[in-house]
Amino acid sequence: MYEKNVKIFIVIPAFNEAQIIQSVIKEIQSAGYQNIIVVDDGSTDDTQKQAAKLIGEKALRHKINRGKGGATKTGIEAAKIFDAEIIVTIDGDGQHDPKDIGKLTEPIIKNHCDVVLGTRLINSSGMPYYKIIANHIGNFFTWLLFGLWVTDSQSGFRAYSRHAAELINTKSDRYEYDSEVIREIHLYKLSYKEIPIAVRYTAYSMGKTQKQGFINGLKTLYKMIWNIIS
Amino acid sequence: MKVHLYQIAVSLIALFMIYQGIENFIKGKKNQTLLKLFTRIIVWGGMAAIAIFPDLSATIAHIIGIEGNINAVILIGFLFIFLLIFKLLSTIERLEQDLSAITRNEALKEIKK
Repeated sequence: MYEKNVKIFIVIPAFNEAQIIQSVIKEIQSAGYQNIIVVDDGSTDDTQKQAAKLIGEKALRHKINRGKGGATKTGIEAAKIFDAEIIVTIDGDGQHDPKDIGKLTEPIIKNHCDVVLGTRLINSSGMPYYKIIANHIGNFFTWLLFGLWVTDSQSGFRAYSRHAAELINTKSDRYEYDSEVIREIHLYKLSYKEIPIAVRYTAYSMGKTQKQGFINGLKTLYKMIWNIIS
Repeated sequence: MKVHLYQIAVSLIALFMIYQGIENFIKGKKNQTLLKLFTRIIVWGGMAAIAIFPDLSATIAHIIGIEGNINAVILIGFLFIFLLIFKLLSTIERLEQDLSAITRNEALKEIKK
């Protein structure tokens, strides 16, 4: 175990995840991580209440929906207030396996890099083919617009050192946030690693309408281009 | 073909600007992306091309049909509307960011106490 003396915070942006948020938190706690921050992004259900039963004041709430990027940034800011040394972001729908957190934090603890990107595409078995194609398109546009090639530019499972969390300053609120982080890594010349992660595509996570689909993908691309020209 | 001084000057400036863009991109300077490099090449390359071949602008105008006065008025109108939309979108974007900042501060208020 490399984590013993390091203050690791897990940030979970969540929108209408009341059904599953407690099981996600419990699974992370079982994996050995007690510092968990949930940001309820203006949900219409009781996501925050469900989370607060397990983590108390660390269940934050956006009064209005700002998007995954906005909620993640709030969570990272909160982790900084709690003096986090390493910050891990993980999706709130249970698609990521908390057992992978150790793989993501280890290179940072060993001072091998500033950012670790969980990637679904190094070992993409079980991933729906349309998601693989969509991710490759996302990677291409991220490289074209932001200048850095990574194998999974849309993954939300990432770990940041305190140094990286202080430098990275994103402005995007929606799904373009994930690509904007890549831009910041490139901009500040942060060292990074890509680590393969397991993804669990459940009926629950696949059924969520606000996920990155084709139309949302086009919106994300438009926002990425807009952020460059505006 | 008679070469005018302005043609040499514009070409040299364009060459310098394109060279600088390529150098910034290769060195990976702050905010340099492939898209910005392409934009720079198209803008300065276009200026150099028009300076070296002045007839090119007349050919382009002929192709897209901006020759009469009315066409020019319509084009200016389009440009004005484009600028207006751009300005509106910029303002909306800024307001969205302000809204996110307020929402974030409100959410963090409890733990800052």
